[in-house]
Amino acid sequence: MSLERQDPVDDGALERTPDELEALLGDLVVDRDDHLNAPGFVIRPDTVQETLSTLKQEAGYDHLSVVSAQEYENRYESIYHLKKYDDPTQEVSIVVPADKDNPVSESAEPVFRTADWHEREAYDLIGIEYDDHPDLRRILLPETWQGHPLSMDYDKDRPQIATLPEHANPLEEHHKDAESDTMFLNIGPHHPATHGVLHLKTVLDGEQVVDVEPDIGYLHRSEEQMAQSGTYRHQIMPYPDRWDYISAGLLNEWAYARAAEDLADIEVPEYAQVIRTMGAEMCRIAAHMLALATFALDINGDFTATFMYAINDRERVQDLLEDLTGQRLMFNYFRLGGVVWDLPEPREEFFSKTRDFLDQLPESVEEYHNLITSNEIFQMRTIDTGVLPPDVAKNYGATGPVARGSGVDYDLRRDDPYGYYDELDWDVVTEEGCDNFSRLLVRMREVEESAKIIEQCIDLLEDWPEDERNIQANVPRTLRPDDDTEIYRAVEGAKGELGIYIRADGTDKPARFKIRSPCFSNLQTLPEMANGEYIPDVVAALGSLDIVLGEVDR
Amino acid sequence: MGAVPAQLFPEFLANAVGVEGLLAEIVSSLIGATVVASIILAFSGVAGPWAKRKITAAFTDRIAVDRIGPFGLLIIPAASVQLLAKELIIPEGVDRPTWDIAPIILPASALLGFSVIPMGQIGPLNIHLADPEVGLALVFAFASIASVSLVMAGYASSNKYSLLGGLRAVAQNLAYEIPLIVTAMSVVIFAGTLQISGVVGAQTETLVTIAGFDIPSWYAFVNPFAFVLFLTANMAEIGRNPFDIPEAPTEIVGGYQTEYSSAYFVLFYLGEFVHIFLGGAILSVVFLGGASGPGPESISFIWFVVKVWGFFLFTQWARAAIPRVRIDQLIEIGWKGMLVLSFANLVLTAVIVGVIA
Repeated sequence: MSLERQDPVDDGALERTPDELEALLGDLVVDRDDHLNAPGFVIRPDTVQETLSTLKQEAGYDHLSVVSAQEYENRYESIYHLKKYDDPTQEVSIVVPADKDNPVSESAEPVFRTADWHEREAYDLIGIEYDDHPDLRRILLPETWQGHPLSMDYDKDRPQIATLPEHANPLEEHHKDAESDTMFLNIGPHHPATHGVLHLKTVLDGEQVVDVEPDIGYLHRSEEQMAQSGTYRHQIMPYPDRWDYISAGLLNEWAYARAAEDLADIEVPEYAQVIRTMGAEMCRIAAHMLALATFALDINGDFTATFMYAINDRERVQDLLEDLTGQRLMFNYFRLGGVVWDLPEPREEFFSKTRDFLDQLPESVEEYHNLITSNEIFQMRTIDTGVLPPDVAKNYGATGPVARGSGVDYDLRRDDPYGYYDELDWDVVTEEGCDNFSRLLVRMREVEESAKIIEQCIDLLEDWPEDERNIQANVPRTLRPDDDTEIYRAVEGAKGELGIYIRADGTDKPARFKIRSPCFSNLQTLPEMANGEYIPDVVAALGSLDIVLGEVDR
Repeated sequence: MGAVPAQLFPEFLANAVGVEGLLAEIVSSLIGATVVASIILAFSGVAGPWAKRKITAAFTDRIAVDRIGPFGLLIIPAASVQLLAKELIIPEGVDRPTWDIAPIILPASALLGFSVIPMGQIGPLNIHLADPEVGLALVFAFASIASVSLVMAGYASSNKYSLLGGLRAVAQNLAYEIPLIVTAMSVVIFAGTLQISGVVGAQTETLVTIAGFDIPSWYAFVNPFAFVLFLTANMAEIGRNPFDIPEAPTEIVGGYQTEYSSAYFVLFYLGEFVHIFLGGAILSVVFLGGASGPGPESISFIWFVVKVWGFFLFTQWARAAIPRVRIDQLIEIGWKGMLVLSFANLVLTAVIVGVIA
């Protein structure tokens, strides 16, 4: 069966009980602070590297999903959510309290490269300082920002005045010293190939890239804080649509739904799960079509026909999604415990429209293969450029098509099943090339797999008895999860592992709402792919990462 | 070309009015040049705001301009007014007057090229301004002045993207000019002359007769290998996909033209279109029998229009379908591939012509 793992289970995937893990860590563990999803071990702030490397080397926890930080009345806290690429259901949380007056904690960057940006974000928004961090600067907010917005003593009424001299102006200095022949080039924040407002600080030697540093935060909209000021039941669900807004809305909504449903112990009816699965896969097709379209734009140049063809196909999925949800972009279709309404009437029309789309899809995919993947020039441009070896991908916490394009067999739909995925017949797509071409191929093949899933869902929905079409579970009007329960849950979004960490404090609003954005981690790998390559390869690598700045910056 | 070569356009004008002397020659030449330039600029005017949009739309399943005028044709005056009415932004630190001259050189050099191109006949009128003995060399010389303009614009713009675009333009032109001209040389060996009327005249003989149709000895039929080589190099020469590297909007945001707006931008744009048409004209002169085609000599201008517009359509097709190569790959194709092939073609042609003759 396709859902079973093909590779043999090695020692790294060996499951250990929480007590065994505690024994492994020995004296490092100060206390236990279990979360709903994983055992949690409290450690001292100066033993972060030792603890994480023990878990990574000896217990096989090789995936640092996210670092979520928060401030309590009496302390600061960073939580390292660890998983295994081989089996993401094996999770462990490392809780690192830091002193209230002097919040300093050891950086995990030497153990997991991905901690670099995650800790910078924690420093930026919460105010925890990380010792031994290579580059502890603000990441989302401007350098001149005063205070840390998610900390308790933050005065939001205080005007933020960024005086001119404080702005770093990269144009001001003459970016060429006597010794070097390099040229500093700002790519973005307004550039046709940055797919949004992204700024790449690039150092060039001729046409070759010596160094590239992504500068993000231009689209930061305080999504986490907005979610923290909304009630669980209804007020948070509209926000996820606005993270990855490239039609991946339902996939994002599912991330919140899954975390909140597990937190509040809500059971979702099977019928609703099938609808969710179908809708989510439609979103995935739409998102991958846009990724394909813009990638063709990056490689072929503007006026390429492939772009419009892919947009056309995306349009057809959007029509289906519009029929289903009543919206084209900001769906707001999921509810805790189910979906907001049943399939559109007449159902037969919806089914036949969907089937028409699925029937035509293989032809479209074939056309894309003819137009781009089988084109020699296209292959010349994409094969063996933007190379991301699997171990580097893992070190940076890359997930989704980026990881699968590097041969990392990791897909939460199969490895940490939710919804109706484990009942259906489909395959996880991986490619071994590790280059721009592989990442594109993964997306193109995933579209076909998604089509398979939708088809099976349609079959199921068609035959579903009319009196068993339960679209929503009974959920109380107001949800108040127990005080001090914490959970981290992730789903396979269009770009990779989209996770939500929620801490409940007994009220109807989350005390901490942390979004683990796949694009945020994936974008971190860009310098690894781009350094030493040509400018066009940077553009191609960025296109193949398929980032959405709305999700990177949140 | 018939038995009696038709008079050149200026001579025809002078004879028609019945004047002689230096002054008459100058005046008739000027009038002739104005007519030719008007034709080409009219081509570009139709191509830029309208035909290009319609063609690209057809390739990409869209409709494009159709709101004003029949088939949206009135977009041409509308776009002209709109483009010229825009503010001319002169960035701080640009190197004037280089920055101002560059957008004039590009269309001017491309237009100059048409002075030696035989554009066929309309009735008794032979639209051909001059026919010097070194015509073919001259037209290549004019065409390659364009890269000077690109370098000037790239360097003077005081913009790093423009600079990269200028550098790419030089690298690209060096890599492609030589194969282009060497391939054209193989045709010269066939024709035995650099004079354009000679090259065209040599292609009028019948190559073979198939089912009653006379296939003329166009060099595209005589030496298809050279034709493909020339076509490829020509695409690079005019900087269209897959070789639109000096512009590459998704990489270096338009390259040398990044900082230009309003009238200067129009000049660049115009220059590029004139350049595409010049590329088509050169291709038809060297490989497609100039303005010749079925039917009487007096309508051969139509065949000229068909050929250059055919080439224009080809560039747009390439633009819609073919990915852009990387600059280092282009250099490699130029120096390691095309150069070797073009010399091989030249030597082979020389040997074959030597053996036959």
